[in-house]
Amino acid sequence: MLRTNLKILLTVIGTLAVYTAVANMIPQVQSEVPEETAIGADVTPEQLVVIGQELYEGAGGCTACHGLGTRAPDLLGVIGQVCGERREGLDCKEYIFQSLTEPSAFVVEGFQPIMPDLRRTLSEPQIWALVAFLQSQGGPVTVTAADIPRAELSAPGELAIADGGGAAAADAAVTDPVELLRTNACFACHQLGEEGVALGPTFETIGTRDTEYIRRSILRPNADTAQGFEAVAGTMPANFGDQLTAAQLETIVRFLSSQR
Amino acid sequence: MRVTCVRPIRVAGALAAALLLLAADPGLAQEALALTPEYGHFPLIGARGAIWIAAQVHLMFAAFVLGVPMFAVVVEAVGIFGGDRRYDRLAKEFTRLLLIAYSATAIWGAALVFALATLYPRFWAYLTAIFAPSMWIYAGLFFLESFTLYLYYYGWERWKEGIAKKMHWGLGILLNVWGTIVMFIANSWLTFMMSPPAQVTADTAPQTVRLWSAIANATWMPINIHRIIANVVFGGAIVGAYAAYRFLAARTDEERAHYDWMGYIGNFIAIGALIVLPFAGYYLGREIYEFNQQMGITMMGGFMSWLWIIQAFLIGILFLTGNYYLWVGMGRIPGAERFTPYIKWLLIVLVIGTIVWATPHTMIASRREIAAMGGTHHPFLGVLGVMSAKNTAVNFMILTTFLSFLLYRRANKRPVIGWARTGTLVQGAAFALAAGIVLFYGIYGYFVSAIVRIGFSVYQVLAVLACILVVITLDVVMLRGATSRGAIRWGQMPERSQYALFILAVTFTWLMGLMGFARSGIRQHWHVFEVIRDTSPQAFTPALGPAATMISVCVLIFFGLVAVIFWLGGLAEKPIVIPAAAGTAVDLGPAATAGD
Repeated sequence: MLRTNLKILLTVIGTLAVYTAVANMIPQVQSEVPEETAIGADVTPEQLVVIGQELYEGAGGCTACHGLGTRAPDLLGVIGQVCGERREGLDCKEYIFQSLTEPSAFVVEGFQPIMPDLRRTLSEPQIWALVAFLQSQGGPVTVTAADIPRAELSAPGELAIADGGGAAAADAAVTDPVELLRTNACFACHQLGEEGVALGPTFETIGTRDTEYIRRSILRPNADTAQGFEAVAGTMPANFGDQLTAAQLETIVRFLSSQR
Repeated sequence: MRVTCVRPIRVAGALAAALLLLAADPGLAQEALALTPEYGHFPLIGARGAIWIAAQVHLMFAAFVLGVPMFAVVVEAVGIFGGDRRYDRLAKEFTRLLLIAYSATAIWGAALVFALATLYPRFWAYLTAIFAPSMWIYAGLFFLESFTLYLYYYGWERWKEGIAKKMHWGLGILLNVWGTIVMFIANSWLTFMMSPPAQVTADTAPQTVRLWSAIANATWMPINIHRIIANVVFGGAIVGAYAAYRFLAARTDEERAHYDWMGYIGNFIAIGALIVLPFAGYYLGREIYEFNQQMGITMMGGFMSWLWIIQAFLIGILFLTGNYYLWVGMGRIPGAERFTPYIKWLLIVLVIGTIVWATPHTMIASRREIAAMGGTHHPFLGVLGVMSAKNTAVNFMILTTFLSFLLYRRANKRPVIGWARTGTLVQGAAFALAAGIVLFYGIYGYFVSAIVRIGFSVYQVLAVLACILVVITLDVVMLRGATSRGAIRWGQMPERSQYALFILAVTFTWLMGLMGFARSGIRQHWHVFEVIRDTSPQAFTPALGPAATMISVCVLIFFGLVAVIFWLGGLAEKPIVIPAAAGTAVDLGPAATAGD
């Protein structure tokens, strides 16, 4: 019986060990407590954009649906261009603010009304920071401290930015596609308008290729070689996948896809 | 925010003072609540670890003692109304396991209450301020439940004939009624934490919250229903493991035959109820989305999205192991060999189904992962990871399991009716039609929008349920008066099949821990969602790896204690084995539980 008991014990422990190991092997995502963000009365639009991006990628929970292509419209690199035309009588920032606080007021065709009212999880200054960030996705940022109710603001000069603030955060916050191409030295080999060098394929007509191809070319530049550019094959750095945030990558892909 | 952590004794003193004031004057109580320390300290594993273990192990025992009486009373009824005394003995043996498990449930429940009162005193004071009356009712009902259980078990031999037997069965029903109400009350506390009524905000004084509105919150009834079914699944699996243990320890053929049969019934109950459980899960999920979309998204598409892949992996193992047990069991049924060639095909469907179901799709991926995949979705597997493919896979797995069961059931029977061949052809057509509908909507789902696609899953499920209903009804009619190809050789089961029952029990238990983590974790850094914030240092919600380690620890503690219960169960009383009449026309053993 001792032998049987041992076999039972091994079965139980072995099964538990497999499940524990599998659960430890998959990507580990821990849900952190959101940082309390205080936004001062002298906050600038640029600072709001940075805070907004932190919220977009973190406490706002936006990336759970936006950017996946199925649950909710993709916003990065796009929404700033179209927000002013979505609803009659609402300008860009009014429309985005309404989308975040009264999400069922207007639902983009083809999607379900699953967007939550962000007032339940974010403060009004945080929501305005999100509006500023979303405006920066292809359009000018018009949100200022004046849009935020004064009672909600902290003392001037008080500005808490979630982890990674400063220069690094500012780099991660760049979401203008042309600026991204510039900062990542893409124009060293590619040309767009008057900017850049035509060493590699031009960006002017790159949108004629499909989106997957463009994304793959950025992430794995050596996977395909464009016809006529065999001589420079292998010269494009293969580290953009590590260098760009997912949002930045998608912004660039969308922007290049629109160049026809 | 300031966080205070103090020693348990001081905490208990302050809490007692707060509760006294609460009873005396609600106004003073508010102040007393504010004076109560927020958090206590627990050595080594921390306050949250201690609560986690106490709550999880208590829940496992509670599920067992609530699930087993449900099918014990059904099995007793089969014995009374079917005239087969074997079922009566089996029901009594199930109940015997409950006696010791009840003590363990109460001990862990007390540990949980003490842990809450000393480690989360302010939050506990808040809950008691709202739910105190229901807590007294809970305690009273628990007493009634225990008393009824003792009466039910110890009166078994005294009230075994005629009207007294039926009254004894009534006691079993009463036991279930008390147990269900007790569970409903406890569920109201935890579901209030998940989905408090809209009018309850951070500024609402707990004394002003109406008790019924707190109890009848958005997720209360869905959790009640889900837990009733899950408890049956869990109870069946643990009984299966008990039977396996006793089978392996058996010294006589009669004993081995008895526990082989008991193991079969445990597995049948567990897998049978498991098939229904996803529907209760969908209902719960829908209500969570209705209550708060953000919470629903956090659960399904946020940081918990990988959890559902692990869940799919575990359910795949449950299906595979449950089917494996049936296939091995066919070795002891004369006539089953004619079905053996088909088993490999059933296995292939189950394996493919598991792989598809466990394919990741809409995950939060890191930059490195996005780079490795060449996009936010995997270029090839992404196609299989969508709901169209997954729903199709799950429905095929259910159909396959049902087919396995059907083959098992028919293995030793020879129908005597004239239209048996036609009936079998109709059954085959029902399977083919259901599979065709499932496949059609699975493929069609790729070509329509998400809103339309979601509706397709209803058609797929209805097709499978209709198939099960038609086929089993036909089978019951067709096999009426069927002759036997030979009696089932109960007890002649390879030992490896019994280890499959252990794997099933461990997997069900682990899955229960995982789902408990999901349900509790979607509150994230809130004790009461968006009402009372967790300001302790352990307010973050852990990743799946550390959570899995904690779940495994809980399962180990549970099974360690269950092993003692099994051992005591063996000491307490030897089973009175009533062998099935060998060579009868049709062995009623498994078939009787299978719908005959």
